[in-house]
Amino acid sequence: MGRQDRDVRISLQTLRVLEAFLENPTDQLAGADVHKRSGLASGTLYPILLRLESAGWFVSRWEVIDPSSAGRPRRRLYRLTSSGLARASEVFASLGRGVPA
Amino acid sequence: MNSQWIDRVALRLLKRAAHRAPPFLAERLEEEWLADMSARRTSVARLRLAIGCCWAASVIAHEHGTPSVAAATARGAKTLAAYAPADSFFTRRSAAVLIILALHAVLIYLLAAGIVHRIADAPPPPLIARFTEELSPHHPPPPPAGPQLVRPTIELPVPDFPREVQAGPDTITVPDKPSSPPSRAPASITVQRVLGGPGTGFPNTADYYPAAAIRLREQGGVAVQVCIAGSGRLTSDPAIAQSSGSPRLDAGALALAKAGSGHYRPTTEDGLPVSSCFPLRIRFELRN
Repeated sequence: MGRQDRDVRISLQTLRVLEAFLENPTDQLAGADVHKRSGLASGTLYPILLRLESAGWFVSRWEVIDPSSAGRPRRRLYRLTSSGLARASEVFASLGRGVPA
Repeated sequence: MNSQWIDRVALRLLKRAAHRAPPFLAERLEEEWLADMSARRTSVARLRLAIGCCWAASVIAHEHGTPSVAAATARGAKTLAAYAPADSFFTRRSAAVLIILALHAVLIYLLAAGIVHRIADAPPPPLIARFTEELSPHHPPPPPAGPQLVRPTIELPVPDFPREVQAGPDTITVPDKPSSPPSRAPASITVQRVLGGPGTGFPNTADYYPAAAIRLREQGGVAVQVCIAGSGRLTSDPAIAQSSGSPRLDAGALALAKAGSGHYRPTTEDGLPVSSCFPLRIRFELRN
C-alpha cells in the first residue's frame, strides 16, 4: 500500500485494540470483532483503526462476499502487518507486559 | 414498533456521521459501519454504534484537518497517510486533559482550604428571639377641663317674724331645717385587668423568622393586633398594627401570631379570663 511505518501515539485504548489483534496476529478482524474483543465504543475504536492503518500497522480490505446473497453489507477487515506486529510487540515489551497470549 | 423506530434513527445517524467524515472516506466508512451495525443484535446496540460513529466521524475529520484538501487527493492509500498523528507533543487532547487536571487541582485546593465549605455551608447568624414588653393598654386622655363654676353665695336677710308662733289649732311647726333623706353616695367599682399575651407553649419566634429575611439580614419589630377569647384562642385573624417596614418580617409575625392560637394567655379581669384585643409585639433580631 505504500504506507510508511510511523509512530503512533499509544493510549490505553490503542493498547486494547492491539491486544485484540495480538490474540491471533493472523486474524482479520472487522470493527465489530474488535469491539467485542476490546470492549471499546465505536466512537473510540474507528479513529484508532484508521490511525493505525494510516501508520502502516494495519492493512484493510473488503470482505469477499456477495452482499445481496449474504443479506448484509461487506465488512472491512483489518489485519496486522509484519511491521505492525513488530512495533506492537515492542510497545508491549517496553511496557513490561509482554505480548498478550 | 419501537425497535423499528430506533433502527430508523440509528440508520439516519450513521449515514449522517459518514457524511461528516472526509469525502474520500465517507463511502467506505458508511459501508463499513453498516456492516458492523448489522452484526449488532439489539436496536439499542445499533443506536449506540450510530451515536459512536457520529463521534468517530468528528474525530476523524478533526485529525484529518481540512476536508477539501483531502478531497483533492482522495481515493487512494496516499490519502490515508494524512491520518498520521501529529508529532506535536501538545495536542488538542493533551490540552483538554491539562485543563481538566488544572480544574480538579483548583477544586481540590478550594476544598482543602475550606473555602468551598465556608461558602456552601455558611451558617446563618444565630437568632435572638424574644418578646418585647407588652404595650401598656391604651388610656384615653383625660377630658378637657370645663369652665369652673362657682356657686355664688347669696345672703338672705333674716326675717324678723318669729319662726315659732303660738300653737293653735291651725298652726304647724316649721323646723329650722327640713330633714333631708340620707343621700346615697355613688359606689366606685374597681376591676383589676391584666392584659393577655403569649402563654405557655407559644411558638418560638426564631422558628418563624423568614429565611429570606435572614439572608437579607432584616431585623425589626412588628406589632400584631390579636383578639383572644378567654380560652386563649384567636377569635379573628390577626392584623398588622405597626409594620416593621419589611413585608417578610410582617408576614412572619402574622404567621407566628396565627400559630400561637390556643397558646395565648388571655386577658383577665379580677382573675377571670375574658375576651380582649391587644397588640402583640414581636421582634425579629439577628445575633451577630
